[in-house]
Amino acid sequence: MSIKTDILVIGAGPAGSSAAKHAALNDAKVLMIDKKSEIGSPKRCAEGVSKEGLKALGIEPHCKWIAKELTGVKFISPNGTSVWLNEERVKLPEAGYILERKIFDKHMAMNAARAGVEIMVKTIATGLKRSEEGLIITAECMDQSFEINAKIVIAADGPESRVGRWAGLKTTLKPKNMESCAQFEMAGVEMEDSNSIEFYFGSVAPGGYAWIFPKGDDIANVGLGIITTQTDKTAYEHLLEFVSNCPSTQNAQPVELNIGGDPVGGMLKKLVTDNLVLVGDSASQVSPLTGGGIISAMKAGVFAGEVTAAAIKEGNYSQKRLKEYQDKCEEEMVKTFNKELKVKNYLLSLSDEELDSIAKAFKNTEFEKINTKEIIKVLIKVSPKALLKLGKIF
Amino acid sequence: MKVNEWCMYCGECAGVCPRSLIEVRETCLIFNENECKDCRICIQVCPVQALYKEE
Ligand SMILES: Cc1cc2nc3c(=O)[nH]c(=O)nc-3n(C[C@H](O)[C@H](O)[C@H](O)COP(=O)(O)OP(=O)(O)OC[C@H]3O[C@@H](n4cnc5c(N)ncnc54)[C@H](O)[C@@H]3O)c2cc1C
Ligand code: SF4
Ligand code: SF4
Repeated sequence: MSIKTDILVIGAGPAGSSAAKHAALNDAKVLMIDKKSEIGSPKRCAEGVSKEGLKALGIEPHCKWIAKELTGVKFISPNGTSVWLNEERVKLPEAGYILERKIFDKHMAMNAARAGVEIMVKTIATGLKRSEEGLIITAECMDQSFEINAKIVIAADGPESRVGRWAGLKTTLKPKNMESCAQFEMAGVEMEDSNSIEFYFGSVAPGGYAWIFPKGDDIANVGLGIITTQTDKTAYEHLLEFVSNCPSTQNAQPVELNIGGDPVGGMLKKLVTDNLVLVGDSASQVSPLTGGGIISAMKAGVFAGEVTAAAIKEGNYSQKRLKEYQDKCEEEMVKTFNKELKVKNYLLSLSDEELDSIAKAFKNTEFEKINTKEIIKVLIKVSPKALLKLGKIF
Repeated sequence: MKVNEWCMYCGECAGVCPRSLIEVRETCLIFNENECKDCRICIQVCPVQALYKEE
């Protein structure tokens, strides 16, 4: 069996579905494949997104896939000191949502289908070679092995990112740039405010942070990400410790275990080659600070869909033509990611004691009044050396 | 490379293998053992220690 298409999208996560939909809306013939038998499942995500992000994508929130609307954020230092930003203390620019990703991802794929995308599930891409007209992808679905001839491939294959490598792009990540994550979805979580997300910093999660993201009632995603070069324990072992020590989870029970890698080293330098573009986690389009990648994956998906569909119309699938996609992503993301990398390196350079002092200093601050100068004053008191790492971020 | 029963096919190991030798399917992992340089990076990053090398 051999299939022909203008654009083949490999991976039906947020990046793939967004790219496929926008390519189809711009008149390209699009096939999207995913190795999963059920798109969106298992989830590998804490499911937090900003309202602003969804709005910018023109996606109307839907009660089927919004688990919870949030009004606050709480930062907790190693000794339990918390700094709470909620609507009473500060006017939050945009609080976020907690999604039900198993439904959200499927919903996005359905929207792609409605835009004209053909979808094959339980279909894995296993290799790639070049032909005169484009790329030939070898794929398997159940007992069938076949080839897919595509003029352009959109590689949206997540943190594994093997498709780009087959085409010669450097997508392999160093362990220091890949957060190793483990999370329980739990019932019986007792939060002070179940409308706020909680972030726990310090040695509880070496190289990363721990989180509790409420999903309604007493349900929450309780998880953490670590950098494995900074600890001898696995993410799962750190998670068990966190859950047994955290006051909010003393009476909680897991109903689901999620694990996965989160590429937090900043966007890859090269996202395109002849006939192929990388989108989403496969391109490390993830906030280096928070590890959030849903919105950026979908924004990049819009760019990828539009640019590849235009390239199909023009009959030009060269790296030079597809570079427009990379330029758009750089404009949208790189500046922010670079700033976030600096803030992250700063936070990671602080000891537990220094984090406690910062939390103490900010605990009762009137955030309406605080400005950059005042933040710096506090941080200088805590650790002038560490502050140098922030450079010219402010 | 041996894969413990509790592997959850998350693909993190495949993302860091410097030689791209790990194929992650929905419910199985396939290693290209011949090319493996025994760097053990895949073992290091696994969130649940599902990989081990038989000595
Ligand atoms: C524990 C954890 C918590 C996170 N929490 C958040 C959060 O709260 N908010 C947030 O914004 N982000 C979060 N992220 C990051 C977020 O999940 C990703 O950035 C997002 O899923 C990226 O979307 P994607 O489409 O690029 O990749 P994915 O969602 O990973 O989708 C890739 C798809 O490609 C398929 N695939 C891979 N290889 C092949 C192949 N060879 N053939 C066919 N199909 C293939 C996979 O089956 C998968 O469906 C978290 C990540 C982790 C690990
Ligand atoms: S990182 Fe571990 S759990 Fe994930 S696929 Fe690899 S061996 Fe399995
Ligand atoms: S030991 Fe190294 S080369 Fe071998 S499979 Fe693991 S990461 Fe790849």
